[in-house]
Amino acid sequence: MSRSYDRALTVFSPDGHLFQVEYALEAVRKGTCAVGVRGKSVAVLGVEKKSVLQLQDPRTVRKVVMLDDHVCLAFAGLTADGRVLIDKARVECQSHRLTVEDPVTIEYITRHIAGIQQKYTQSGGVRPFGISTLIIGFDPHDTRPRLYQTEPSGIYSAWKASTSCIANAIGRSSKTVREFLEKNYKEDMTREESIKLTVKSLLEVVQTGAKNIEISVMESYGKVTNLELSEIEAIVAEIEREKEADAERKRSRLAATAAGQAAMATRADAGQSSGQ
Amino acid sequence: METSFALTGKGYVIIAADTTAARSIVKMKVDEDKIKELGTHLLMAYSGEPGDTVQFAEYVERNIRLYQIRNLYPLRPPAAASWIRRSLAQSLRSRNPYSVNLLLGGYDQAENKPNLYWIDYLGSVVEVPFAAHGYGSYFALSLLDRYHDPEAPLEEGLATLKRCLDEVAKRLVVSPSKYMVKVVDKDGVREVEI
Amino acid sequence: MARRYDSRTTIFSPEGRLYQIEYAMEAISHAGTVLGVLAKDGVVLAAEKRVTGKLLDLSGAKVRGGYGGSGEKMFLLNSNVIGGVAGITSDANSLVNYARTVAQQHLLQYNDDIPVEVLAQRLCDLKQGYTQYGGLRPFGVSILYAGYDPHYQFQLYHSDPSGNYSGWKATCIGANNGTAQSLLKQEYKDDISVEQAISLVLRVMSKTMDSPTLGSEKLEFAVLTYDETAKQPKAKIYRPSEIDALLVAEGLAKKDDDAEMKS
Repeated sequence: MSRSYDRALTVFSPDGHLFQVEYALEAVRKGTCAVGVRGKSVAVLGVEKKSVLQLQDPRTVRKVVMLDDHVCLAFAGLTADGRVLIDKARVECQSHRLTVEDPVTIEYITRHIAGIQQKYTQSGGVRPFGISTLIIGFDPHDTRPRLYQTEPSGIYSAWKASTSCIANAIGRSSKTVREFLEKNYKEDMTREESIKLTVKSLLEVVQTGAKNIEISVMESYGKVTNLELSEIEAIVAEIEREKEADAERKRSRLAATAAGQAAMATRADAGQSSGQ
Repeated sequence: METSFALTGKGYVIIAADTTAARSIVKMKVDEDKIKELGTHLLMAYSGEPGDTVQFAEYVERNIRLYQIRNLYPLRPPAAASWIRRSLAQSLRSRNPYSVNLLLGGYDQAENKPNLYWIDYLGSVVEVPFAAHGYGSYFALSLLDRYHDPEAPLEEGLATLKRCLDEVAKRLVVSPSKYMVKVVDKDGVREVEI
Repeated sequence: MARRYDSRTTIFSPEGRLYQIEYAMEAISHAGTVLGVLAKDGVVLAAEKRVTGKLLDLSGAKVRGGYGGSGEKMFLLNSNVIGGVAGITSDANSLVNYARTVAQQHLLQYNDDIPVEVLAQRLCDLKQGYTQYGGLRPFGVSILYAGYDPHYQFQLYHSDPSGNYSGWKATCIGANNGTAQSLLKQEYKDDISVEQAISLVLRVMSKTMDSPTLGSEKLEFAVLTYDETAKQPKAKIYRPSEIDALLVAEGLAKKDDDAEMKS
């Protein structure tokens, strides 16, 4: 029995699946939602924040963290796994600076994190990390924002806008947010537009509004701001107003067509009756 | 030859170091910055074996930065001094030890006071009101004994430092031609002209 | 089929759950209650002891270091942190030992007491490791950390077998923690003093513990405050006699049988 721990826990099943990796992804799906959006010169991370319990200290609940001056990471999945992986990434950021005197590029650190995650899908006696990450930042001497995603399998990818995981409990899948982003994403969005899109897409799964949303904005190398609750509330309110106006317009349009149809029907009726 | 000074005053620490990079008796350059900014409120002047100095200073810099990123608050000056001393002491007992002398000056934001530490390559650390490394120390320490005032405002502190630099220029055979001077206080670190 | 995912090491189940961790948490919910309350000038911990007996020797109790040989739940982790543990006691002992080592290593490196959150984090990293590396079961222990450091002053943290931790104003682990939690929610006020916190803790403990009366043989108690003259945190783990005195002062002591007989 003890021998079984010497081999990898993650092994191929006869039909070619790596089940542990797939199950780890399920753990991610159980987590809270995270969204990343890349604008023209800005990158935005938004996360769904679970309500802090009444007696809990909100300071200790962290979903978005800095890896270095210019790299920001949000994760979804098992918090403890996240903390451990983040620490490894932070060490690598400083180690990289020490070795080559340059800060890491966003792709480099993404690749590094994904590499660690991959190792845990193949090494002996370990289970994979039950987290996905979204990484935003600016490369040194560059003005283009970056957005990457990593998964428990060790896959990493660059995105214009991305989401990892969604709360299953409310019966929606990450597809909802992804489809929303695909439909509403525009190239070269401004800061305000990017933030708004992030909040809007989060609202697809977060029903409780602004108090459960956390937004971090990176505008240039090393310039990160976390939006205040009041700012997020203002954006949510604006989105709701727009939605209402939209619905109003739709209603009036519907009413107009209905009225038109009714008018046509009466005219037809009238025609019929006059014909009789 | 390499020389560095540091002194505390009312709410600040001044650190000065020569800017000469030399090999044997030849000056290679005269605008080398030998005072590293380890954090928003922490300065470290280093001297000793060229190569060792930069290598060790960068190692310290990265580790102190890592501490801040991990914990969201910076290492306080006394803790930083202890950590650096320990690193040097460990290195001293390794196969190839660093030969580096340091002056560590910082402003402790928790207790709102300046701290200055004298650290040498043997892994000694002392908290001092003023300090010096190199040949300059033979001339400066007596001057600082006479003129140092822990309650002096910055201008006075800089004037005291100037006395030391002048004395070294006057008496030391191989006195450095230029110094870089940095100050750390509640507002952080900055370079000053002297 | 489920056995495939819960009998061996910690691995993901098809729904992405880690059963071993959930079972470890289950173990803790049967353990003696540990309760912590954060006050503006201190932190209070209390715990329900499960190993009791008339012949149990508690004379090893020291003023600061805990109970000597028969301490079960309260441990001085460092001069600025007291830990209250719930779960498998032998696992807890090993974690306490690790915590003390980590704290001393920090002291050696930085000549400064370890910040409370850093200590909690280090223990959680260890606990997390036991949920991910092969062949090991998770620690069956939750810990409450009551501590002080100059960065965030008084703090109360809770860590569980998964390696998660979070900060609290008042919280409870172990048996009946639901009842205690809701009582705390009702009764806790921001900015309470240590004295108020002590009586709150004792009141809640008396309501949640299985036995109707409180006494030193079933209760452990600790308070962390700041000593203004020595300029350092002061951790005090109460001796049995001190606990009884405290209970009398709070009017929660059990009635003296002899006195009742006489009357």
